[in-house]
Amino acid sequence: MTRPVPDEELMMLVRGGAGDMLGVLFDRYQVPLFSFYSKLTGNRAASEDLVQEVFVRILKYRRSYRPGTAFRPWIYQIARNAHADQMRKRRDEVEYQPDMEPQAPQNDSANANQQQALLHRALLELPEDKREVLLLSRFQGLPYNEIAELMGCQVGAVKVRVHRALQELRAVFLRLNGGAAATDRKIAGANHGL
Amino acid sequence: MDCERVSELLPDYWEGILKKPDAELVAAHLSTCKACGELAALGESIEQLPQEQPSPALHARFQAMLDAYEAGRDETKQRGSHPAIWGGWTWFRPGLAFGTAALVLIVAGFLAGRYFNAGEGPRSQEQMAAMESELTNMRQLVVLSMLQQDSASQRLQGVNWSTRQNQADPKILSALVHTLRYDSSVDVRLAALDALSRYRDQTQVRQGLAEALEAQQSPLVQVELIDLLVRWHDRGAIDPLHKIEQDQNVDPTVRERARRAIDQLS
Repeated sequence: MTRPVPDEELMMLVRGGAGDMLGVLFDRYQVPLFSFYSKLTGNRAASEDLVQEVFVRILKYRRSYRPGTAFRPWIYQIARNAHADQMRKRRDEVEYQPDMEPQAPQNDSANANQQQALLHRALLELPEDKREVLLLSRFQGLPYNEIAELMGCQVGAVKVRVHRALQELRAVFLRLNGGAAATDRKIAGANHGL
Repeated sequence: MDCERVSELLPDYWEGILKKPDAELVAAHLSTCKACGELAALGESIEQLPQEQPSPALHARFQAMLDAYEAGRDETKQRGSHPAIWGGWTWFRPGLAFGTAALVLIVAGFLAGRYFNAGEGPRSQEQMAAMESELTNMRQLVVLSMLQQDSASQRLQGVNWSTRQNQADPKILSALVHTLRYDSSVDVRLAALDALSRYRDQTQVRQGLAEALEAQQSPLVQVELIDLLVRWHDRGAIDPLHKIEQDQNVDPTVRERARRAIDQLS
């Protein structure tokens, strides 16, 4: 089996004007980027707009891509900027309204689904910078050096952010989980009373 | 090792870059401390969150943007590359109703090309030719590598990509014929046949199709192949069709279709 053509080689061709090669990159990145955005914003329509915006920007700024630059941190940097700009614009208008219930995986138990939904809700309650660093490192699986590169900070600082974000996530998750457990107990109690 | 320290080391622990005594200490702590075990499990469960699939509209929007860009480039090439100031850029911004965007694409395409290509400066014919040739090689490489991936959906993408070539590329045609004969997925074989159906004038393809007819195991693909050979009035296919018609192991529907095809071609 031949190895897939590296993203960097494709991007160099896009840089030279070969727009169709951007199609290959779109095929590779549309799902990860859309997943990242929908977990970040909780809004599918806004996430699709943002993915489109990323690829518009790649074409627009393609000449700023320098040979030897790792493509993945580069595209995620564009993705972060696109999101930040969108948020700035929307702050003056209306904030994103989450329009999606966290999706449940198939063939899994109801309890696991509930836990995943709760986790997604807890993530959405975190301050955005904390949610973002957790999504990039844990959900997208970006190594810390790539995150450091795209955030413009040291690797150590990324790890500290992950650590702090995780602590806060646990606090929110326990609060939500406690609430859910209390509701379950209430319902059980009411049924018992019948 | 205390809980605070373990929590700090978790990022390295997950990435597998924690040195030995620390890695073992963290693992031991996680197995005995309930709170830290739960914290680690929470972090690990983020990985398990499902990937979300965008709607097909996203791909359509992207394609429209790309088509407009390509159309604009062609136009820029013909006119020589003179940058133009254009304020209509926002037409491609997300959030615009797709239908409206489609209506303005033809005009916007030309303008967008200039916008995207602004500042490139004129290129010599030799430079353009060198770029075109490099691109052809890369397109070929992309398609050939996609056709050889393990995942059927990626191979299918490769077949789809092959249809974006303007000219027949012998290497890609040969890879498509190979896919038609040997790919493990019927869907991929059918897509390859569909892609090949555009190359009637290529001897390599006509021969490949006739050979694939004999080697083919799937009745679905066989029927599609026979129909295509009839549409092409390919009399060279009569011999392999006879073999199929007489082969007792072949699906009766396929044999009947072969018999009718022989009548039509004779």
